[in-house]
Amino acid sequence: MFHWLEKNPFFFAVGVFVVIAFAGLIEIVPNFAQASRPVIGTAPYSTLELAGRHVYIKNSCNACHSQLIRPFKSETDRYGHYSLSGEYAYDRPFLWGSKRTGPDLHRVGNYRTTDWHENHMKDPAAVVPGSIMPAYKWMFTNKADINTAYAEQLTVAQYFSVPYNKPVPMKDGSTKTVKMGASVAEANALALEQAKEIAADMKDQDVKDAVAAGEIPEIVALIAYMNSLK
Amino acid sequence: MDIAQLQAYGYFALTVFLTLALYGYIYHLYSKKKDSDGHDYEEYSNMALHDDISDTPVNAISDDKEK
Amino acid sequence: MENRPLEYDYTVAKMFMLTTVLLGFVGMLIGVILAFELAFPSINTVLGEGLAEYTNFSRLRPLHTDAVIFGFTLSGIFATWYYVGQRVLKVSMAESGFLMFIGKLHFWLYLVGVVAVVVSLFMGITTSKEYAEFEWPIDIAIVVVWVLFGISMFGLIGMRREKSLYISVWYYIATFLGIAMLYLFNNMEVPTMLAASPAGETGFGAWYHSVSMYAGTNDALVQWWYGHNAVAFGFTVPIVAMIYYFLPKESGQAIYSYKLSLLSFWGLMFVYLWAGGHHLLYSTVPDWMQTMGSIFSVVLILPSWGSAINMLLTMKGEWQQVAASPLIKFMVLGSTFYMFSTLEGPIQAIKSVNAIAHFTDWIVGHVHDGVLGWVGFMIMAALYHMAPRVFKREIYSKKLMASQFWMQTLGVVLYFTSMWIAGITQGMMWRAHDEFGNLAYSFIDTVTVLHPYYTIRGVGGLLYLIGFVMFAYNIYKTMTAGRKVEESELQNASPMGA
Repeated sequence: MFHWLEKNPFFFAVGVFVVIAFAGLIEIVPNFAQASRPVIGTAPYSTLELAGRHVYIKNSCNACHSQLIRPFKSETDRYGHYSLSGEYAYDRPFLWGSKRTGPDLHRVGNYRTTDWHENHMKDPAAVVPGSIMPAYKWMFTNKADINTAYAEQLTVAQYFSVPYNKPVPMKDGSTKTVKMGASVAEANALALEQAKEIAADMKDQDVKDAVAAGEIPEIVALIAYMNSLK
Repeated sequence: MDIAQLQAYGYFALTVFLTLALYGYIYHLYSKKKDSDGHDYEEYSNMALHDDISDTPVNAISDDKEK
Repeated sequence: MENRPLEYDYTVAKMFMLTTVLLGFVGMLIGVILAFELAFPSINTVLGEGLAEYTNFSRLRPLHTDAVIFGFTLSGIFATWYYVGQRVLKVSMAESGFLMFIGKLHFWLYLVGVVAVVVSLFMGITTSKEYAEFEWPIDIAIVVVWVLFGISMFGLIGMRREKSLYISVWYYIATFLGIAMLYLFNNMEVPTMLAASPAGETGFGAWYHSVSMYAGTNDALVQWWYGHNAVAFGFTVPIVAMIYYFLPKESGQAIYSYKLSLLSFWGLMFVYLWAGGHHLLYSTVPDWMQTMGSIFSVVLILPSWGSAINMLLTMKGEWQQVAASPLIKFMVLGSTFYMFSTLEGPIQAIKSVNAIAHFTDWIVGHVHDGVLGWVGFMIMAALYHMAPRVFKREIYSKKLMASQFWMQTLGVVLYFTSMWIAGITQGMMWRAHDEFGNLAYSFIDTVTVLHPYYTIRGVGGLLYLIGFVMFAYNIYKTMTAGRKVEESELQNASPMGA
């Protein structure tokens, strides 16, 4: 029986496939039904936040920063409450990272402000002496891609029932509705509205001017995303 | 029966099966030492050692291979 | 056709040898730049502020991993397949015009894919998933390349003269199937170009963008099932295929126990796939999966060592060959590093060890003793063995090969020892509390302390890179200036010039 397998490439390949696919079938597939319910207080990303998330991915921030607080005292002391599965319900892709060259960012919105990020992204070592993080000055001039973020919102709302324009429950018992535009123009207007709030807390005159002129630099979107991580 | 239970039974049954198959294989290899064509398994190392195109195959695909 | 005796045809193997050397150099060069960027951050803007976007650490990091995995290693796998495959099946690619065409198409499409990957990653077009950064258009191209590889492989197997499949062929088949399954499932994504707004607009936003089919914890689970097994089927399985052919052939010794090689194969296939969970210890995936990942990682020592010990025992009674031939040195040290990193991996997968090691440089060190010491050494040894047979010339310089060996060995040792110290130091500092129960160190304290180790690591990487340049030079000279040799000199040990 065994020898037959060794000289019949087709059935050999089938055998190998069964053996290697087994783990995936048992381990991964059945878990899909249950693991993706959001916890209370988790809302989908707004258009600007999603555009900021794209900036985060574009620059591979996840190569050096994790977004996963493990349930150890040393981590909860440093970063806040340990991460819960439901908090990631709207994260496509997940951004846990695999290396902490810099600190974890899963709850960075709780303890860093807009102007802290602004100064830090321009010159990290000036804010944190000894920092080895490179500066990200081009984010102050590159424009955020709002249209792609909007296309992504529409896609996840359609295929994965992400609750845009619907009330989601918050921790204090209230509800929050994350708005999604009905057209590209409206989506851009919504993003700009949120961008103006961010820019009001910033000092860089070029960024302020750009936002006033209706343009959104990448840094504004990125900060919106950072502030949403709580 | 919910999916978690199916998962558990499936896991258990397949693991037992694969373990039996593996130990059966080990027993076969070391008790028979030869495969059903009568080749000692260790002869197959020669597939690498004598691999010129003019060398004789260890286990030729058919007798009329040389036309 | 003239009435010439049939010969193996290495046209496609040669093409892939070229990309192995080329992309290996690119991947390692970027790696060395990255290493020094961590030690000396001013290197991030080495080409000026204007180009900083393209030279900084975060933009280059995926290029490094992908150039080494999908450039260097994959080219090496293809090159050796188009060499080993013909020989152990005793059939020449010259016998089939169709397979020759597929082989060449495979190479050229692969090259197009490589260019697309390099351009897109420089532009920052990435899905962020490690070793699966490519957006859907490139994913489709990769699937096509992979199918061509499959046609090549099974086409050759289909016309073989040797009925039984040599153990290396088993491993190549497993590589093909494993990567195919993993890649397809991990890259399930929905292109956003299909979106239509309620106002009826379509086709806005970046056409190449997509969103992952899985969210959050599920996405992580699939990604590390992929990520870990991409290592299995890219860095372990095909490299084992290589050593099972090249070590016996070069040394003239039969495999110590062919039966053991068959057992280890099935063991490895079954166990490896379960171990992915060890990347997610203490995360939000269910506990039983984490435990399963830990346990299977430890069990994995058995089949891994089955192969490694088999290789070392193949040299039993023939150790003078190790002293005499730098080529055999590469392979013997390669299998030693394989044993070493397959022991280190399971240790890191134990939950309490992982609590310290995870997110630190120790993991980076582990990957590199595997890739530099095992994968890199084995692929270079394979190319050294192939060169005289493919070019019909002797290896240009044995001395150069020997100095390369020692230089790279020193490089690897510097690399992993510095990363051990860096990783454990940082892991311990993160969790240190003072007498009142407060954190003892701020985060930046745990970064600045690493500077010396990052510098040593950079030097280790640089030594390895210099060794690789010596390798490339040696191969180039073999191709152009080596002494021509007769078929009879190519039976076992490769002919080498002084």
